[in-house]
Amino acid sequence: MSANDDQADVERVLAGDISAFEGIVRRWQGPLINLAYRFCRDRGRAEEMAQEAFLRAYRALAQWRKDAVFSTWLFALATNLYRSELRRIPALTVSLDDIAEPPDARASDGGLEDQDRDLAVRRAVGALPAKYREALILFYFHDMDITTAARSLGLPEGTVKARLFRGREILRSKLPQLLAVPRLKEA
Amino acid sequence: MRRLTGYGEGEADRILSREEEILPSSGFAASVMGAVRREAAAPPPLPFPWKRALPGLVVGGFVLVLVFVGVVVAIAQLIRASANTHFSMSLPSVLTPVFGLGLQRNLEIAASWTVLALLVAFVSVKLSMGLVSRRA
Repeated sequence: MSANDDQADVERVLAGDISAFEGIVRRWQGPLINLAYRFCRDRGRAEEMAQEAFLRAYRALAQWRKDAVFSTWLFALATNLYRSELRRIPALTVSLDDIAEPPDARASDGGLEDQDRDLAVRRAVGALPAKYREALILFYFHDMDITTAARSLGLPEGTVKARLFRGREILRSKLPQLLAVPRLKEA
Repeated sequence: MRRLTGYGEGEADRILSREEEILPSSGFAASVMGAVRREAAAPPPLPFPWKRALPGLVVGGFVLVLVFVGVVVAIAQLIRASANTHFSMSLPSVLTPVFGLGLQRNLEIAASWTVLALLVAFVSVKLSMGLVSRRA
């Protein structure tokens, strides 16, 4: 994906050529839908939320200052929208207290146990308080890049680090066997 | 871009990084572009009709000031009248009906102003609630 393509399309849209927006949609539809899916865990709703994000981006296109990369601006806008959407209508989650570790959690020879473990961890993330959940979602969505996650959330890096740390502490306390830190296990 | 070291060790990282990718449905881009075109074709939002609203706002403000002044005057009269009543206790009984009537009149004025103020408050609350519900 080229930043130049984005800039060229934005300029064309601002000049009145609405069809140029399709290039932006085609380049960023996958990432925006996947980010929305991580927030709501529902494909249909993820597409609706992504569509709304594109629409808001279209309305606010003139506000994009070209000193920031277009994708950074777009992700921040989408993240803001997804967060408020999830505050308005929360995703279906179970309480953190109701999340149980799958039996024999340490067996990691693949197959069903891996799936159970993955599911338990994802459910636990979904049940975290919003500020920790959002930090974790953005952190992993941006391939563990804390700078980009912080930009998307519109928060200082230090705040995101603190929220990640606290979120992971909560996860570890709820799923102690699954998420024990390797160093501690060896000790 | 700086990557956070020390967070890539745990099982959570392995699991949460391995997120399944979902593909957009075939009509997604077309649907977004449809919404964008509708947005572009829609007329711009109506500006607030200041010209129409201004006389109403001015009259409303004037009435509020009037009510406020009236209430203050009524209260002042009431206080003065009650002071006169205390004074009348020491006056000969012939003068008492005069002061008694004055107090009753002041009370009536104060009551009518209070009723008017309550009425204006009620109408303004109903009006704002109506406007809010119409917008929602």
